[in-house]
Amino acid sequence: MDEDVLTTLKILIIGESGVGKSSLLLRFTDDTFDPELAATIGVDFKVKTISVDGNKAKLAIWDTAGQERFRTLTPSYYRGAQGVILVYDVTRRDTFVKLDNWLNELETYCTRNDIVNMLVGNKIDKENREVDRNEGLKFARKHSMLFIEASAKTCDGVQCAFEELVEKIIQTPGLWESENQNKGVKLIHREEGPGGGACGGPEESKMAVPTESWCLGDSSWMPQLSMIVECYKYFVGPGLS
Amino acid sequence: MIAAFDDFQTGLTTRGRCCAEARPRPPLPPSPDALLFFPAYLAPFAALLKMAADSEPESEVFEITDFTTASEWERFISKIEEVLNDWKLIGNSLGKPLEKGVFTSGTWEEKSDEISFADFKFSVTHHYLVQDSTDKEGKDEVLEDVIPQSMQDLLCMNNDFPPRAHCLVRWYGLREFVVIAPAANHDAVLSESKCNLLLSSVSIALGNTGCQVPLFVQIHHKWRRMYVGECQGHGVRTDFEMVHLRKVPNQYTHLSGLLDIFKSKIGCPLTPLPPVSIAIRLTYVLQDWQQYFWPQQPPDIDALVGGEVGGLEFGKLPFGACEDPISELHLATTWPHLTEGIIVDNDVYSDLDPIQAPHWSVRVRKADNPQCLLGDFVTEFFKICRRKESTDEILGRSTFEEEGREIADITHALSKLTEPAPVPIHKLSVSNMVHTAKKKIRKHRGVEESPLNNDVLNTILLFLFPDAASEKPLDGSSAVDNNNPLSESEEYNLYNQFKSAPSDSLTYKLALCLCMINFYHGGLKGVAHLWQEFVLEMRFRWENNFLIPGLASGPPDLRCCLLHQKLQMLNCCIERKKARDEGRKTNTSDMFPGDAGKAGDQLGPDNLKDTDKEKGEVGKSWDSWSDSEEEFFECLSDTEELKGNGQESGKKGGPKETASLKPEGRLHQHGKLTLLHNGEPLYIPVTQEPAPMTEDLLEEQSEVLAKLGTSAEGAHLRARMQSACLLSDMESFKAANPGCFLEDFVRWYSPRDYIEEEVIDEKGNMVLKGELSARMKIPSNMWVEAWETAKPIPARRQRRLFDDTREAEKVLHYLAVQKPADLARHLLPCVIHAAVLKVKEEENLENISLVKKIIKQIITHSSKVLHFPNPEDKKLEEIIHQITNVEAIIARARSLKAKFGTEKCEQEEEKEDLEKFVSCLLEQPEVLVVGAGRGHAGKIIHKLFVNAQRLTESSDEAAAMAPPEEELKRVSSPEERRQNSVSDFPPPAGRELILRTTVPRPAPYSRALPQRMYSVLTKEDFRLAGAFSSDTSFF
Ligand SMILES: Nc1nc2c(ncn2[C@@H]2O[C@H](COP(=O)(O)OP(=O)(O)OP(=O)(O)O)[C@@H](O)[C@H]2O)c(=O)[nH]1
Ligand SMILES: [Mg+2]
Repeated sequence: MDEDVLTTLKILIIGESGVGKSSLLLRFTDDTFDPELAATIGVDFKVKTISVDGNKAKLAIWDTAGQERFRTLTPSYYRGAQGVILVYDVTRRDTFVKLDNWLNELETYCTRNDIVNMLVGNKIDKENREVDRNEGLKFARKHSMLFIEASAKTCDGVQCAFEELVEKIIQTPGLWESENQNKGVKLIHREEGPGGGACGGPEESKMAVPTESWCLGDSSWMPQLSMIVECYKYFVGPGLS
Repeated sequence: MIAAFDDFQTGLTTRGRCCAEARPRPPLPPSPDALLFFPAYLAPFAALLKMAADSEPESEVFEITDFTTASEWERFISKIEEVLNDWKLIGNSLGKPLEKGVFTSGTWEEKSDEISFADFKFSVTHHYLVQDSTDKEGKDEVLEDVIPQSMQDLLCMNNDFPPRAHCLVRWYGLREFVVIAPAANHDAVLSESKCNLLLSSVSIALGNTGCQVPLFVQIHHKWRRMYVGECQGHGVRTDFEMVHLRKVPNQYTHLSGLLDIFKSKIGCPLTPLPPVSIAIRLTYVLQDWQQYFWPQQPPDIDALVGGEVGGLEFGKLPFGACEDPISELHLATTWPHLTEGIIVDNDVYSDLDPIQAPHWSVRVRKADNPQCLLGDFVTEFFKICRRKESTDEILGRSTFEEEGREIADITHALSKLTEPAPVPIHKLSVSNMVHTAKKKIRKHRGVEESPLNNDVLNTILLFLFPDAASEKPLDGSSAVDNNNPLSESEEYNLYNQFKSAPSDSLTYKLALCLCMINFYHGGLKGVAHLWQEFVLEMRFRWENNFLIPGLASGPPDLRCCLLHQKLQMLNCCIERKKARDEGRKTNTSDMFPGDAGKAGDQLGPDNLKDTDKEKGEVGKSWDSWSDSEEEFFECLSDTEELKGNGQESGKKGGPKETASLKPEGRLHQHGKLTLLHNGEPLYIPVTQEPAPMTEDLLEEQSEVLAKLGTSAEGAHLRARMQSACLLSDMESFKAANPGCFLEDFVRWYSPRDYIEEEVIDEKGNMVLKGELSARMKIPSNMWVEAWETAKPIPARRQRRLFDDTREAEKVLHYLAVQKPADLARHLLPCVIHAAVLKVKEEENLENISLVKKIIKQIITHSSKVLHFPNPEDKKLEEIIHQITNVEAIIARARSLKAKFGTEKCEQEEEKEDLEKFVSCLLEQPEVLVVGAGRGHAGKIIHKLFVNAQRLTESSDEAAAMAPPEEELKRVSSPEERRQNSVSDFPPPAGRELILRTTVPRPAPYSRALPQRMYSVLTKEDFRLAGAFSSDTSFF
C-alpha cells in the first residue's frame, strides 16, 4: 500500500477555538461527527491516505488548539507544512474577524512561502449564519487562498476541501518531494469546467492560488551567462574558440 | 550485394550507382538529376573533400550489417519522409524578406526526432527562425515558378556574419533547415560511400515529398561540423557542399584566389560573367593588455593590523577577480558590400585596410575561469562540509576532555545549581579568555603552536563579543536591538528566506569569521580552533550568567538556522537562570523576579510550599515534557518552606475550603469578570512561560506525539502529554482566585466555551444565564480531569515547565560535538546570505542590469534550496557557482571600464556613450562600434591595438620605436598612417568572405539561379561552404 504513495504531505488546521477544526478532521478521517469531542489540548494528529487524480498522497494532519493560551505552542507546528486549512465558523462573526491574525501568524511562522492555503467556512448546516459566503470568497481571493464552505456535521464540502488542497499542493512543483523517485506525478488536466470537477465549487475557489511554477531540478532559471562563449562556438571552426 | 559494398569503399562512386543497386524497388523513381553527385565540374571540391577525408583515420562507426538490404534503406527514407510530413515542411511557402539583424533579434527554435538506419540512430532536427504566422499568408497554392525560400535567402545580404547563430545559418544565410546527424555525440559517418548513401536518401526523400526546406546530413566527426545537403524546388536544386582543411592551399588565402574557385565551381557558360557581390569580414584579436595592469591582488594576509587583513576586516567578504577576467578583444572589420574589381586583394597586395572598413564591431572573450575571491571564499568554506574529521582529531587531542566529563554527567552539572553562583566577573577581558583557552591547548599539545595566533584570535573574539571589551558589567542590553531601523528592510529580512541569521547577529558574524579563518588562517585547523574557543566562551557565559550578545531575545527564531536557534536557546536559559539567581539574592526584598521580567508579584512572608511528596504525586499523573522532578520554577531553598494550609487545600481542593486561602500569584484583575460564587473580581494569574523550543526539539516532540497514533487512547495520551501547561495555568488560576470554579477558569481561558443566554426568570426579569459548552461538560473530559487535579499553587512554586539547566547543558553538549563539517553546514546559509549581500553591494557601484536580474534569481533559487532540511550538495554548488558568476560579470565590467577608460573620459556625452558601449559588451555577443574606426570607441580600440603591436614589435626587434605620443599623432593622420598601417593591427585571426551571384546553370539557357560560397580562414583551419543551384527541368 505504502509503495504507491507518491508523497507524504503535512497539513495543518488552524483557526479560532470552537470553529470545528477537530470535527472537520474527524469527519474527513473517520467520516463521523462526534458532538462529544473535547476541546483540543495542544495539537492532535491524524493520518489519512487519499488519492487525487490518480496520485496517492499520505496526509499527516495536525489539528491545533484554537485556544489563545496554546497558541504559543502551535506555531512550531507550522514548520514544514505544505498546506494549511484555516477554519472559521459562519455562525460566529468574531471567528471570521480574527482571520487576519491567523494569517499574520502564518506569515511569521511558516518556513516556506509557496505553501498552499485554504479557507474553510464551517457549520453551514446551522441556521444563524453571520458570515455571508461572499465575504469568505472575497477574503480568500484577497489572500490567494482556496475557499470552500463546509459542515462537519452534514459532511458538506469536507472531502472536497482536503482533495482540492492536496491537488493544489501536488501541482506546485518544489513544494513536495517524491518518496519514490522514479514515479512521476500524474498531472491530469481537469476539464470539468470552471466548477473544478467533483467539488462543483465556485470558479473563484480555484483561481486565486499562487501559481509560480518553479522546479527545483530545473536549472533553466539562469539566463545564459555562457552567451559570449556560445557565439564563439558558432564562430567558424574550433580554431578561434 | 556485400561485394557492392566493398566496391563503394574503393573510391568515388556516383549516387546513381548507389541508388540503382541498393534500391531494387524504389517507391518512386528519383528524377535523373538526383543521380548526380560529384559531376565533373565539382571536381576541385570533390578532391578537397577527399583530401579532408583522407586526413582522418578511418575509424568506422556507421556500420550497417547488411548494408544493401533494400528494406532497411527504404525504411530509412520513408522515415525521413514521415518526419518531413509530420512537421509540415512540404511545399513552398514564402515568408517575408529577411529584415536586417533578424537572425540575432528573432527567436530560433528547433524540433527533433529520432530515426534509425538499421540499428544506427540518427537525430533529425528542424531549425527555424520563428516568424509571424501572418507572414505565411495563405500561399498554399503551389507556385510553380517561384524558387524555394532558402534559395532566395542565399542572396540576402541583411544578415551576413550574424553574432550568434547556428553555423549553417552563418555559412548559408538560411532561415530554416533540417539536419540529420548521428544521434550519439561520438558517432560519426566517415566513409565516403556512406556519406553518399545518406545524401541519396535525403535527395530521394526531398523528391518524394516535395519538401523545399534544405536538408543536411552531418558527416565526419561532429567537431568538424561537416555538412552536405540539398534543397529542391520545382525544376531547381541547390547542392550544399563543404570543404574543411587544416592547411589552406595558398591560392585560397585571398579574395582573388577565392573568386577563381567560385567561378570555376559555377562553371558559368556566360561571358562576361554577371558581377559577383562580395562581403568580407576580417577579425583581429587583441590579447595583449600589457599597457593596462590588472590591479586586483589577493589580500595580503600577513598585514593583519587591528582586525584588518590587507584591507579586509573580519565580518567583511573579499570581492573581485585576481586575474583579468577579460582575456581577448575581437574586432571584426566588415566590408558588407563590395563588387568585384572595386578592391584588390591578392597574394602581394591588399586594399583591405581595417581602419577603412565601413563597419566595426567588437566582442570580448572572458577568461575561462577567472579566480574570483568571493567565489573562492565561499567554495572553500563549502568544502569543509565534506570533511569527516572531528574537532578533536583536527586539533590532535581531546579538546573537550575536561568539559566532556562534565557534559557527560548532567546530574553533576545539575547539582551545580544548588551551589552558590560563582562570583560574577564584571569585566570580561578577551585576552584573558584567549589565555585560558590557549593554556588548555598547550597543556594537551605540548610545545606545538596552536593554529590561530593570539592576535588573530583576540581580534576575532572581540569582534564576536564586543561586550567583553566594555567596562560596564554585562547585562541584557547587549542583545540585538529589535527596533533596529534596518530590521524592516527587505535586505535585512533576507535571513528569513535563506534560513540563515540576521546580518547583525552573532551567528552570522561567526560564519564570516570562520570563512576567513578557513581561507587565510590555518584552514580547517583554524576553524576547529576558533570553534573550540567559541564553545568555551558559551560555557563561560552560561556558568557566569552573561547573556550572549548579538542574539534577538525571546524564544528561538524558527526562521533562522538551527545553530542560531541553539544559541538563542542558550540565551533563554541564561536569562532564566540569571533571573532566578538574582531572585534568590533579592529574596529578602520580597520581589518576585518574574518570568522573563514579566510579573511583579508580591511574595508574602507566609509563602506556601507544597511538600515534595505531593509534588511527586502530581508529577506522576501529569508528567509532561519535563521529567526533572526536583526543579521548581522558583528555586527557593528548603529552609524557606513555611508551614501553612497548603497541604490540606491541595488534597481537598473544593472551592468551599480553598475560598478561605490567601490569594497568591495574581498578575492583575480581569477587566469585567467576577467570580461566580461570590462576585469577587476575577484575577488573571501569573503564569509560567511555555518552554522555548528549537526546531530539532520540536521535531522530536512532534515525532513522539505522532507515534502515539490516531487511536482514541493515543489521542488522549497526546492531550495529556501536552496538558502540563494547562494544568500549570489552572493551578496558578486557583491560587490567584481562591474558591473559583471551572466555569470561572473557562471564562478567562476559553470564553467561547462558556455560553450565556438571556432567560426570563420567575419574576419576569431578563437575566443572563451561563453554562459551560457541551464539550466542556462531557464527563471526565481532560479539562475537567485537569481541573480536579489542579491545586492552588502560584506559578513561582510550581515545578518548572522549562528546565533551563538541563536545556543549557544539552545545547552546550550539542555545540561541543559539532564537527567542522557540521558547523559549515549549519553556517553555509549565512555565508551564502553574506555573499549575496556582498555581490549586491558591489553591483550597486556598477549598476549592471543583467546582474540585478541574476541576483534576484539567485535569491529566489537559494530560498527554495535552503528551506529543505538537507539541501543537496549539487544544488548548493550551483548557487555558489552562480554567485561566482555574478562576481565575474562585475569584475568583467570593471575590467572593461578600465580598458576603455570610461572614468578618464572628460566629455560627459562621450563618457555616457562609452559606458553604454561597455555595458553592451557585457550583455550582447557583439557590439557595433558607432562610427567604425573613426568613432570615439573606435579610436580607443585602435589605440589598444597600436599599443599592443608596438609592444610585440619592440620585443621582436629591439629597435627603438617612435614615442607613443608621436605614434598616436600618426594614427590621426590618414596619409601617414596608410604607409604604416600594416603595423597597427596584427594579421587577422579570421578572414571570412561571402561571394554571391545569380547565373544560369548548367547551361546558358537554364534559369538564372542563386549561387553562393562562404569561406573562412583562421590560423588553424580553412573552410569552404558552397551552395550551387542548378536548373533541373531541361537538363
Ligand atoms: N452544527 C455544527 N456544529 C459543529 C460543526 N462542526 C463542529 N461543530 C461543533 O462545534 C463545537 C466545536 O467543535 P470542535 O471541532 O471541537 O472545534 P475546534 O475548532 O477543534 O476547537 P478547539 O479544539 O478548541 O480549537 C463542537 O461542539 C462541535 O460539535 C458543524 O459543522 N455543524
Ligand atoms: Mg479541536
